[in-house]
Amino acid sequence: MVKRLYDILLLFKEYFVVAFFLLVSVVLLAVNDTPQIRVIRSYAVIAVGLLQDTFSFIPNYFDLRRDNQALRAMNLSLSDEVSRLREGKLENLRLRQMLDLKERGEYRTISASVVGKNLQMLRNTITLDVGEKDGVRVNMPIVNESGLVGKIIGTSSHYALGQVLLNKDIRVSAKVQRSRVDGIIRWNGGRSLALQSVARTFDVQAGDVIVTSEYSSLFPRGIRIGTVSATRQIPGSLFQGVEVSPAVDFTRLEEVFVMTYLADTSRTAVEKRIRP
Amino acid sequence: MRTILTDILLSLLFLVLQTTIIRFLAVQMIVPDVVLLWIIYLAIRRGQITATTAGFFIGLAFDLLSGADSMLGLAALSKTAAGFVAGYFFNENKTAQTLGSYQLILIVVLASLVHNLIYFVIFLQGSGITWSGALFQYGIPTTAYTAALGLLPMFAFARKHLT
Repeated sequence: MVKRLYDILLLFKEYFVVAFFLLVSVVLLAVNDTPQIRVIRSYAVIAVGLLQDTFSFIPNYFDLRRDNQALRAMNLSLSDEVSRLREGKLENLRLRQMLDLKERGEYRTISASVVGKNLQMLRNTITLDVGEKDGVRVNMPIVNESGLVGKIIGTSSHYALGQVLLNKDIRVSAKVQRSRVDGIIRWNGGRSLALQSVARTFDVQAGDVIVTSEYSSLFPRGIRIGTVSATRQIPGSLFQGVEVSPAVDFTRLEEVFVMTYLADTSRTAVEKRIRP
Repeated sequence: MRTILTDILLSLLFLVLQTTIIRFLAVQMIVPDVVLLWIIYLAIRRGQITATTAGFFIGLAFDLLSGADSMLGLAALSKTAAGFVAGYFFNENKTAQTLGSYQLILIVVLASLVHNLIYFVIFLQGSGITWSGALFQYGIPTTAYTAALGLLPMFAFARKHLT
């Protein structure tokens, strides 16, 4: 009997090996957020950070020319925007003084270099050269001069892992700046984002700017996310399809800022307690 | 023993390459999968069991190194399957011939498609992104890029085989 079993095992050994490893993989997929695995992952962040930092001086040949052109165009548009913002800020100050409004809190930002990008198989994360020793914590927002980049999802002492907006797991409470229509920003799998849960009768037009909403428990309000590139009516649905072109060019991400903003835990606790 | 040690060291080297240097070859967020090429090489050179085992362990290491998302085990799963599929083409007497001919590219395409299909179907569950769309937008271009990179070892082995 044992001999027969052994013969069968030997005859189909390839199948037994593959079945065993597939089973282990599936089990790992099912139980992959244990404290032990979190510890291993924090070591992985250190290892990847160190490795990617070592090789971060290498430029992407395919992007260099495009980078130059885009940077020149951005420089021009930013200079123009700075002068308009200065005017706007002065006007805003005057109006706030007239209305006696509180100045919105400013958050300290930690500047960071992107030392690694993981673009493989849609995992889309970035590695930053700042970590817990610099004050970076999980769930802090990442921004750059163009707008919202993403959030921190993992940290080690000197490195942090960021999840960018082009990631299947990210959700951001957002708002149309002009009409104040609310929605949820998600990645649609392509090069753009989708503003979801927008009723078909609501006022959203191509060219509208999308910013983070005050309903967000992760991001401070008013950070630019992108611009509406197209809207469409979905037959048989109460909602409309809103495509958003991200403000940030994720293929050319080099310098970012981590905002030392963390969700107000008392607010989320109240929301959790009261909601059914 | 020495061969196993060399294979392990080379596997680590390819993992490091994939997580550090290869991203600089990204074209519109598409990067070739050199780790998969290495697993296919192992399948042709050492056989199905070695490739399946290597696929699992390399995939697991890749899962750990590729970010703190909740998908530990996914690359292990898809690379195990890819190694197993590539292992069907193992023929001890025709190793050099397989590695130095267009057969290698066909194996790369087949294994890569199996790998990407498994990966995207599971990875995109509950995300609202269709796996078929992702397969067309990322899976097939990744397969094509990996196959194109596979031409380099193919020509190298063809040249070695001829001389």
